[in-house]
This record gives sequence, C-alpha cells and structure tokens, in this order.
Amino acid sequence: MNPFDDNETISLEVIDATLAGEAVQPEYAELAELTLILAGQRPIPQEDFTTALDEQVARRFARPSSRTPRPVRWRWLFTPGAALGALAAVVAVIVVAGGIAGSDKSSSSAKLGPSASGSRAAASAPAVAQSSASASAPAQRQSPTAVAAPAPAPTATGRQIVQSAQLSLSTKPTNVDGVAQQVFDVIAAQNGVVRSSQVTAANNANGYAQFQLSVPSSNLGQTMAALSQLHGANVVSRTDSTRDITQQVGGVGMRLADARALHRALVRKLASATTTAEIDGLNGQIGAVEARIARLQTSLRSLHRQVNLSDISLTINAAMVPGHPVSSGGGFTLGKAAHDAGRVLVVAAGVALVALAVLVPLGIVIALALWIAHAVRQRRREQALDLV
Amino acid sequence: MYAYVATLLCDRAAAEDVTALAFERAFRRRRTFDRRRGEERAWLFGIARNAALDELRRRKRVAALMTDPEDASAAVDEAGPDVALRRTAVREALAKLPAREREVIALKFHAGLRNAELARVLGISESAAGTLIHRTMQKLRKACNESL
Repeated sequence: MNPFDDNETISLEVIDATLAGEAVQPEYAELAELTLILAGQRPIPQEDFTTALDEQVARRFARPSSRTPRPVRWRWLFTPGAALGALAAVVAVIVVAGGIAGSDKSSSSAKLGPSASGSRAAASAPAVAQSSASASAPAQRQSPTAVAAPAPAPTATGRQIVQSAQLSLSTKPTNVDGVAQQVFDVIAAQNGVVRSSQVTAANNANGYAQFQLSVPSSNLGQTMAALSQLHGANVVSRTDSTRDITQQVGGVGMRLADARALHRALVRKLASATTTAEIDGLNGQIGAVEARIARLQTSLRSLHRQVNLSDISLTINAAMVPGHPVSSGGGFTLGKAAHDAGRVLVVAAGVALVALAVLVPLGIVIALALWIAHAVRQRRREQALDLV
Repeated sequence: MYAYVATLLCDRAAAEDVTALAFERAFRRRRTFDRRRGEERAWLFGIARNAALDELRRRKRVAALMTDPEDASAAVDEAGPDVALRRTAVREALAKLPAREREVIALKFHAGLRNAELARVLGISESAAGTLIHRTMQKLRKACNESL
C-alpha cells in the first residue's frame, strides 16, 4: 500500500529522477529545476580540508595488517559492567559461604570431635550454671578410650549439680535386641533405673531402640563408659550436660526453714491461746503453714533427686537409618567423590543464583538509566534545531 | 557529509571541524556499527548529525546563511541572469526555512541520501521522510514564486 498521495508520490519520483539525471515530464519542469538548483547549491569543502580528511580517514579506517596484533578480547573485563558483575559474584560467594558456614556451625554443636568435647568439659566452675559437652565419632573406627571415657564430671565442692547425658549408638539391624539387653544389664549393674524403653527389632534398617534411664550421679561416668563400650554397638554421638541448681536448692531450703520457724512460733502461740476464736485462727494458720512446708519439702526432695540421679537418654539405631548414617570409613570412595561433586555443584548453583539475583535488578536499573540519559540527551540535541 | 553539516550549521569553518569530529567518533565507535540496523552511510550521517547538533547547542547561535559570492557570479556567467535570479531566490528561501526543514534539504539534495537513509538519520519512518521532503519542496516553491 502506497503511504503517499498521488502528488507526494509524483513529487518524490520527479525529485529522484532529476537527481539521477533522468528526464521528466514537461509539467514537472519547475520541480526538476528547483531540484537541480538545490543540488547545485551543495557546499563544496576546501580542497586542502578534503585532502587532509581523506588522508586521516584512510589512515584511521585502514584494515589492520596481518602483523598487527588483534585487539585484546578481554578488555571488557575493565568495563563498569564487568566490575559490577565481579562485585555481585563476590557478594554471592560471601552470602553462600556464610550460609554454609552457618549450617556447619549449627551441626557442629552436636557433632564435635572427642578432643573438642574434652575442652568443653570444664563446666564445673561455680559461675557456670549450665553447660554441655558433645562428642561424636565414626562408628566403626571409634577409639574406645576416646568415647568410653567417663563423662566430664563437675567438681561439686558443695555445689548442687544436675547431670544428664544423651547417647546415640548404631548397630547392625540384627543386633538391636542384643544391644538393648546389654543396656538393661549395665543399668542394673550401676544401680540405675530404666524409666522407659522402646525396642523395635527388625532385620532391616528400621530397627530402633530408645531408653530413658536414671543412674546415681556418682555412677554416671562409669555408666556412660559402659554404655559406650557395648558389644556390637558404635557411638554415633554423645552429649553430657550439667546444670548448677545450688541457688535454687538454697532458696527452697531457706523458705522451708522460715516456714518451720513460723510453724513453731504458731504452735507456741497456740499453747498460750485462751479464747476459742484465737485458737481457731491459729489452727487455720498452722494448717496453711504445714501445707506450705509439705510443698517445699517435696520441691527439695525433687531437687535432691535430680542431683543424686542423672538422666540418660539413649537411642540405638540400626545401621543405614536415615539421619543416622554409619560411616564407611575415612578412605576415598566413588560415593564420597560423587557426594562432594554434588555439593560443589549445589554451592556453584547457589553462587550463580545469588549473583543473578543481584545482577538482574542492577542491570535493569542501569539499562533504564542509560536509556533515560540517551533520550534526554537526544531531546536536548533536537531542541538545538528549534533554537536556529 | 560536509555539505550536509555546512548547510545545517551555515558555517564553513565549523562544518569542517564537525565533519572531522564525526569521522573521529565514527572511528571510535566502529565496533558498534550493526549492518542489520542500516547501511554505513546512514550510521555515519547519524553520528554527523549528533555532532552538528552538539555544536549548535554549544554555540546556541548560528551564523547567517552561508553564501558564496564567487559561485553566484560564476552561475550568472554560465546560465544567464534568469537562472541566477532564480538561484538567488532559492538560496534566500532556503535560508528562511526552519532548521528542521533545511536539514531535510541538506540530507536529500546536498548529501544525496535516499529516503530510507534520510529516515534512518532523522529517526522517522520512510513515509514520514517522504512527506517531509514533499512539504518542504512545496514551501520552497511557494517562497521562490512569491519572491520572483
């Protein structure tokens, strides 16, 4: 479809024909003459300027000879965009590395090596009210002396310390029952109590046993050592905790002494009471104080029980239970290599994703700014024409 | 290119500077040239146009329409007084045109661009460029006829 009307089309054709040196119809002679006059008024540059410019253009636009080194392709590395990209990549690496370090840190609290647990074992200082120590070790390469060592016991010089421990063992699927029976035997030998137990025997990886145990605190170290050396079981992780309740025990004891003193005073007062109303009132007060004394005695007994008996939470997993993998040793295997490779790929993908998340909005903003700047500059240029 | 810039700026000396500057810019930006977006000539004239507009912005003024008395007298000798008179009328009418229309004349008749190239330089469609040329020519014809 011709976008021009007839006049425009003819006019443009006449102009082009005239400029091309072709003849036109006589009725368009005026337009052709005007075209020729306009073309004839073409400003001609000075010859020396033309010569100098031609030489300069020929020199600058000349094709590089084969001996000329090719332009360096990596110069883009120094552009602002590349710098921003590099910055975003660094930020991404830091973010991802921070995330990995954070996750490793959170898991390390539950899986410290034996030496680390040893250094944490000094939890008995009076100022420290609560502490814990954890240990884990490869199940089959476990050094018996490392894990079977007594629990780090607080130096209880007059302090009231509550101790507890958690132990996770692994064993063969067919051996869950046998290990569970050994647990009963150990607890009996240490004068302890099995408060609850749950044993699920299965000849596959679903075999599982769980115990809630109580042993005299004086036997906790020996008990943990014995449990760590059960035949056919390996220690997966071990956690020892202590909690100083000296202040709590002292507080209950003081309140109990106060209540007893009050009780004695009320009894004496009752002995000298003369009226019925006075006797009834004192009897009521004495009853309330006795109830309070009973409650405080119960609390104190409970606290003493916590100090004297230590709780142990024990789990036994059949090997290959998800979440409790049994290490196959420290050697290099294809499986480990594949796992490491997968881990590297995940980290790389994370870095790429974070970098993308930074670069895409940044790129959009930069592109928008450049587009606006270009539009404004072009608009100002066009305005220069209106000033003429 | 010089003819186009000279017509736009109405200043021969400035036109020489701007023409040289346009080639310098073209050399620096030669890697940005994309043949799919137009021919080299249109790209080069686009650079020249921007350089000329920058010069206009910088000066915020323009010299009087460039005239060349020697050429005019030579034209009288060669073609006779009627043609010389008509050339003078065209020159004066051209000088009175707004810069945008004078630019169209410069691109079409002095630089010799095709309509498609002209449209590319001005950033308009080819049909709009044709219409612009037609209207400018009508205006010129009218101005010439009135002065004669």
